[in-house]
Amino acid sequence: MKLEIKRLVRDYGTKRVLDLEEVTIEKGTRTAIIGPNGAGKSTLLNIVSRIDSATEGEVHYESEDPRLVTQVFQQPYMLRTSVERNIQYPLRLRNWPEDRMKKRSDELMEELGLLDLRNQKAWKLSGGETQKVALARALSFQPSLLLLDEPTANIDPATTAEIEEMLLKINQEEGTTILFVTHNLAQARRVCNRLLFLDKGKLVESGDCQSILQNPAEVKTRRFIAGELLI
Amino acid sequence: MKASKKRWLAILMILAMSFTLAACGGGEAEAPEAPEAEGPAEIQGKIILATTTSTKDSGLLDYILPEFTYQTGWEVDVISVGSGEAMAMGEAGEADVLLVHSPKDEAAFVENGHADADGRFDVMYNDFVIVGSADDPAGVKAAAASDAIAAFTAIMEKESTFISRGDNSGTHKKELSIWEKAGLQPAGEWYVEAAAGMGDVITMADEKMGYTIADRATWLAVGGNTQLQIVSEKDPSGILNNQYGVICVNPEKNELINADGAKAFQNWILSAETQELIGTFGAEEFGAPLFTPNAAK
Amino acid sequence: MDVISAGIAQAFRLILSGDPEIYGIIGLSLFVSFSSVLISTCLGMPAGILLGTHSFRGKGVLLRIIYTFMSLPPVIAGLTVFLILMRRGPLGHLQLNYTPTAMIIAQICLVTPIIIGLTYNLVREKAPVVNRLGITLGAGRLEIMALMIREMRIGLTAAVVSGFGRAISEVGAVMIVGGNIKGKTRVMTTYITELKSMGDYSRAIAIGIVLLIIAFAINAILYNFQEREGK
Repeated sequence: MKLEIKRLVRDYGTKRVLDLEEVTIEKGTRTAIIGPNGAGKSTLLNIVSRIDSATEGEVHYESEDPRLVTQVFQQPYMLRTSVERNIQYPLRLRNWPEDRMKKRSDELMEELGLLDLRNQKAWKLSGGETQKVALARALSFQPSLLLLDEPTANIDPATTAEIEEMLLKINQEEGTTILFVTHNLAQARRVCNRLLFLDKGKLVESGDCQSILQNPAEVKTRRFIAGELLI
Repeated sequence: MKASKKRWLAILMILAMSFTLAACGGGEAEAPEAPEAEGPAEIQGKIILATTTSTKDSGLLDYILPEFTYQTGWEVDVISVGSGEAMAMGEAGEADVLLVHSPKDEAAFVENGHADADGRFDVMYNDFVIVGSADDPAGVKAAAASDAIAAFTAIMEKESTFISRGDNSGTHKKELSIWEKAGLQPAGEWYVEAAAGMGDVITMADEKMGYTIADRATWLAVGGNTQLQIVSEKDPSGILNNQYGVICVNPEKNELINADGAKAFQNWILSAETQELIGTFGAEEFGAPLFTPNAAK
Repeated sequence: MDVISAGIAQAFRLILSGDPEIYGIIGLSLFVSFSSVLISTCLGMPAGILLGTHSFRGKGVLLRIIYTFMSLPPVIAGLTVFLILMRRGPLGHLQLNYTPTAMIIAQICLVTPIIIGLTYNLVREKAPVVNRLGITLGAGRLEIMALMIREMRIGLTAAVVSGFGRAISEVGAVMIVGGNIKGKTRVMTTYITELKSMGDYSRAIAIGIVLLIIAFAINAILYNFQEREGK
């Protein structure tokens, strides 16, 4: 799904947390959002997914159906039921017939290696497993736009790889537009083709991911990347 | 079936049972036999009867009211408070008919226009008794077994605990009139103003081993559960007489007053049949009727 | 002491006696309390959830008012409802005083704040997260409400049982608006009071035992439910 923002502002009282002009996310891209803490990255995601609302301006979605946008959070909430039922929940909401639901959830569980955990109590899983279930759940209804807020921040490398693989797959096979916040620049390089750098609520630089990471145009970007890489 | 389904079924069953119980409950435990008439009258509504605690606590109303509903189809909501409060309800138009025992206040009630055109009628009477603990510390039984004024004087002199109704009820008014006639003004720790019903006051007197004055009907109904005894009664001057009256509330007070039902009740309670019925109440259990009907013929 | 043992003996005799008057009194107690709790839950639970999910100006004041009303003395609820339903009162034409309906209304005034307060305290931590999840998975407002109730069903059931405990055991409200009228508005609590004032202690104890058994049974069911769900 294509996103167009002409102007987007979010204030908390007198504090201006987000102040964007002219941002476009093209359909089918994989965009990373990077920047220091408090830059407004999560705020942007939350406004796009409609959890939060803007103080000024709005987001133009190519399709007006809000159900095609979904978001996965850093510590996803697991419903107090089995893994399988967690994944099926969005489909239940959409009144999918039982057999179609089962097929879809089996498919996703297989791709993410969750079949053994099918009947486990979802709220008792490890961090990595939880993240995979959350991803499967979010993808169950084939959203056009997938937002992720630091999805692999505390996850082991193996699971991180699985998740990244999944993101690439759905983007290539189904054309899902992906937008995610990360502090892991190596991850950004691996997964994304576009990049947005936010600082103090403003867009500092945007463009092709690899190019910016290799040779940022703005000084601020350069400084940030250097700092991140040093760590 | 699944354990959780069983549980919900159990809960639903409990709910269903309780609703059924509520619906079919409320049957009268003791009532006189139904008359030979063609069957009960269809329920046409309800009246609010404000009455004293003595008519209710003695069980008289439970005994006679089903007859009224059977014959006329009017259901009776019995609100038993003191005569004072009953008449206040009448003044405010919150009740339809009164059955009280405070003659002076009743006369004032009628005079001030709170009653309907027919005014007040005698219904029945019994008497008051003065009761006290088994050891009778004020020596009332010995000195004043049938002298109310002397009894009260002795109690005050000894400063023995006395429980007063303190609620402007008929009994309270009677008690106050006796103190007045004796030229006494009771005050002090020994004089307890309870602001409670007759049954409660008798129980209180029992607990505190004190004295009180009660209508004979409630005394007979409740006194057996206590360790009190009658220490003074049947004063020949008639000072312990207890006259009950029935009054229909002035229907012009508000639109919600059920004048038809109230009048039906008044006529019924004054009718020869009902008067006879009243005269039988308690006869078997206590050897003598608790109330003597005395409606004008 | 024999008053008490006589009471206990009479309790069993009463329960097994099949006396319609006693059953009616017990049934009416249950009917009035179940009804008021049912209605209070339908009103109070969504309200508590909404409070837990949203913030707005004046929320603090509203919460303080609700907390105060959680300990509303039953006699005050009874008196207020009585005055409103009085013939002279604003709703006098409904002629509801001295009816079970009035008793249910008075108890609703007592129980609803309890359910709102307990629900709010229960959901305030989880509700924003569940709400967020629901939005991102495409759930509508009602669906999110249903989800919250399902997710927090253990605690919410306890809140409802709390409300029921309050309803079945209070005497002030039902006495004032009901009048303890034989066959019409006589419930266990008002009946016990009457029996005591008549000096009929053994019967009073008997009804008291029945009341305790009912309270115990309801709580046992709750405990069972919590144990099962918690696993």
